[in-house]
This record gives sequence, structure tokens and C-alpha cells, in this order.
Amino acid sequence: MTMLLFGPELYFLLVALVLFFFSLRRTPKVKADHTVATVLALVGFLVAVACIGQKGELFFKAYRVDLFSQIFKAALALGLFLVFMISRNLAGIEERLHAEFYLFLTTCTLGMMMLVSSVELLTIYVSLELSSYSLYILVPMRRGDDIDVEAGIKYLFIGAVSSGFMLFGLSYIFGATHSTYLTDIIPKMPELLASPIGLVGVLLSLAGFFFKLSVFPFHFWAPDVYQGGANQVVTFIATASKAAAVALVLRIAALGAGAGYDFAQALVILSIISMTLGNLVAIIQKDFKRMLAYSSIAHAGYVLIGILAFNEAGYSSAVYYALAYLIMNFTVFMVLNEVARDGRDLKIAELAGLYHRSPLLSMSLILGIFALAGVPPSIGFTGKLLLFTSAMNQGYFLLVLIGAVNGTISLYYYLRVIYAAYFIKGEGLPPIQLSWPTKMLNYALCATILFFGVAPDSIIELARAAVRTVL
Amino acid sequence: MLVFNQLETYLYLALILFAIGLYGVLARRNLIAVLISVELILNAAMINFMAFNRFVAPHPAVGQVIALFIMAVAAAEAAIGLSIIIAVYRKLKAINVEQATELRG
Repeated sequence: MTMLLFGPELYFLLVALVLFFFSLRRTPKVKADHTVATVLALVGFLVAVACIGQKGELFFKAYRVDLFSQIFKAALALGLFLVFMISRNLAGIEERLHAEFYLFLTTCTLGMMMLVSSVELLTIYVSLELSSYSLYILVPMRRGDDIDVEAGIKYLFIGAVSSGFMLFGLSYIFGATHSTYLTDIIPKMPELLASPIGLVGVLLSLAGFFFKLSVFPFHFWAPDVYQGGANQVVTFIATASKAAAVALVLRIAALGAGAGYDFAQALVILSIISMTLGNLVAIIQKDFKRMLAYSSIAHAGYVLIGILAFNEAGYSSAVYYALAYLIMNFTVFMVLNEVARDGRDLKIAELAGLYHRSPLLSMSLILGIFALAGVPPSIGFTGKLLLFTSAMNQGYFLLVLIGAVNGTISLYYYLRVIYAAYFIKGEGLPPIQLSWPTKMLNYALCATILFFGVAPDSIIELARAAVRTVL
Repeated sequence: MLVFNQLETYLYLALILFAIGLYGVLARRNLIAVLISVELILNAAMINFMAFNRFVAPHPAVGQVIALFIMAVAAAEAAIGLSIIIAVYRKLKAINVEQATELRG
């Protein structure tokens, strides 16, 4: 039965193997590879959903399978499947590299799946690096101009330095608690955080996860990578990778739960700076992906609000928000991919006339953007409401106030996108034809955004049950 | 007590190595040098693990296993880093940080 516990990971390992053999072909079969990869990813999602009820521990208790990890595994598999869905037209990447594109996305998903289950320092480190290294390779794969390698090199070095920070911090935690298991470390945390070595250790080790989540001060990579990477790769980084980072920060921040004031204050400051900086800089952006990068920095700040409440309500709202963010950000990126068919960087002004070119895409865009901005009745609104309520109950009034002000600021640049799509006339641009899977995807995403925004109870209950296993 | 048989000596050594690595990352302009500096940071963490393992850990193998894993991961990182640096060189004809400044704002 232990095989079943490790089911989703084993499955994706096999998929990676299959895709590896695809990448060895001399002459690429672009369409066939895409179909096979998409079907395999869909089956992977079903496997992950089927394994959602699994519970147990593996590998000398270094690896814990519980509801929390299984929900995120299903979300990651869903993210991978969705990204494969929109990769039918991979104009941004050379044809001979398509198989490798699928391969590295799969290994990255595998790494992140292991990440959300890891409860031991070394396991966390190795699976974090597995997922990061796959992304380091994916970013410079883009065809064409020089900005891809520049983005790749920036991503690699900022990532390597932050994981170096993390490892250095982990070594202090190991030294102070004499253990690498989170279950042994957590009881020792309160006294540990009172000592300088412990506080430095925990803050340094959070660096690696903040890098993934693009929280200030590890956010510098986000705009450049979003702009420089191929659109589909960026879609994956912006959705699945974010969800995994939230899962891990939740597990690690539980370390600081008993630490009290100082630790929470550090997170409050990071959250405020991330939100404000992300939202203010996003206002002046002209490139759509770059704007979304700054918006992701701001959203990382919002998620931190839920994490620093350190209770069940806060954690479950962070889980809800992570899942909602995956869906709503993907919706926006899907529209971006469809409009920029040739794989170019899309300027916000180029969305002009989208309403006439494709009413369905513009509906998805307006729903996705409204969800990101937190307009009711979308999932984004419900998520923000839950986050702010949980922080309010913990007495962080100022933080919630700043968060609400930031939400208002963000409306400005989100509405600019809507304005471009609906009210600026795109003269002479042809209508966008959508294939039937894309149409289905559009309807499904719109329905999800609205349905779980109006009736979030089932997801919230699931998130609550999940975080109970973490806290 | 001998100075090289104390935990503090190794912790200071690791801290100095970490600081050198961080300085190198921030100050060096050559991409290869930056990569080496990143490796220094990883080595600093490795020395920490070994020192804690030698002096305080209840189980003597944990730190050594971690050090071995870090070596393997660092090798993979160097491979990826160097391959991206080669890609940078092919496109920009330089491996200097200052050449890579197109993405701004």
C-alpha cells in the first residue's frame, strides 16, 4: 500500500520518463507530443484526485502524505494539465525543444509535489531544488531575441543565492535543534526564536520560499522572468509554482507559530512592503506580463496576511487564496496566450478591440481580472475577504487597512486592462478563432471563478480540514 | 582546548565564507565569478552542517549525509549555471553582468 501513498509522484516520474524518450527523437513530432503530454497530464490530475484521501508517512517519516499535501498535489497536477492545454500553439519555443518543454514542466511539477509533502529539512531542500532547476532551464528556452537568456541568468542567480541563504539558515536550525525533522523542530521553536541564532536561522531559511513566492526582498526576478520567459512557461511559474510556494511557506511558518510577536512583526513588514511595492509599480507598466508580475508580488503580500495570523482561519484562507489565485491568474494568462498567438510579449494596449475580436476571451479576461482585483462575486473577492477577516480577528487592524487601500490602488491598473479590451477600438484586427477545447476551457474557468466565489463553503471546509493536519 | 577542536571556530569560518560569497555575488561582474561565489555560500552551509554534526548532533551521520546531498545538488546547479552562461555568451558575446541590462522597469 505504500506504493499508493506515493502514487501521484510515481506517476509523474513515469510521465517524465516517457517525455524524456520523446525528447530523444531526431525529428520532433510536435502535434503528437502535445496530445500525448496533455492526455498524460489529465490522467495525472485524475490520479492525484484519486489519491486525495491518502494518509501516511514514508521514507523514515521524512515524507508526510496528508490531506494538506494531497490537495496541493491535485492543484499542481491541475496546473500542469491547464498549462499543457494552452501549449498547443507553442510559438515561443523552437520545435525541437517542445518535448523538453513538456519534460521539464513535468519534473518541476514532480519536485513541487514532493515539496508539499516534505517534512524534513534535507527533503525540502532537494525537492525545492528539483523544481527550481527545471524552471531555470525552461526560462531561457524561448526563441528569438536576447532577453530570454538575460531573464534566465537573473532567475538562476537570484534563485541560487536565495537557496544558498535558505541552506545556511537550515544549518543553523539543525545546529540549534539537533534535528532535521520538522516534528522535532516545532516544539523547540519558542526557545529557539528567543535566541539570535534561531531567529536568524528561521528568517534565512524563509528566504528560499519567499523567493518562490516572490515576496519582498526576493522579488527582483519576477518582472524580468515574466517578461523574458515564453508565455506558457510564465503561466506555469505564475500559477502552479505559486501554489507550491504557499504550501511550503505554510508548513515552515508553522515553525514560527509559537514564536509570538517578533516573528509575526517581521512577516507583517514584508507583507506590507510587498503589497505596496507591487501595486504601485504595476501602475506604470505597459507590458501585460510585467504588470502581472508586479501584481503577483502584491498577491504574495496578501497571502502573507493569512499566514501570519497563525491560526486555522488564517491558514485555511491562505490555502483558499492559493487555489483561487491558481485559477484566476491562469484565466488571465490563457487570454494572454490566445491573443499573443505568435508568442510575443503582449502590451496592454494590444488588447484593444478584444471585445469585438473574441467576446468569449474578453469575458474570461474580465472575470479573471475582476477576480484578481477582488471584485465580488468572484473567488478573488471571497479569498481576500477571508484573508482580511482572519487578520482582523487577530488584531492586525493597520495591516488590514493597508491591504484594503492596496486593493483599491490595484483596481486602477486592472481596470486599465478592461478598458483596453472593451472600450478601445482595435481597427483592422481579425477576429480570434478558438478551437473547441479552448472554448470549453474558457467556459469551465469562468464557471469556476463565479461558482466558488458565490458558494465557497465546500472549498473552505476542505481547506480547514487540510490545515488542521499542519497546525 | 585546542582552537580547531571547538564548534565556534568552524561557525566563524563558515560565516566568513558566507560573507565572502555574498560579497562576490554582489560585487563581481563576471558571471563565472558569481557562480563560484554562489558555490562558496553553499560550502559555508556545508561546513556549518559538518561542524554541528561533529560537536552537537546526537546522530553522527545526519550532517555528513546532508553534506553529500549538497555536493550533488551543487554539481547540478553548476552544470545548469554554466550551460546558461554559455547560452548568454552565444547571444551577447560576453559573460559580463553589465551586458545583460535590456529588461528594465
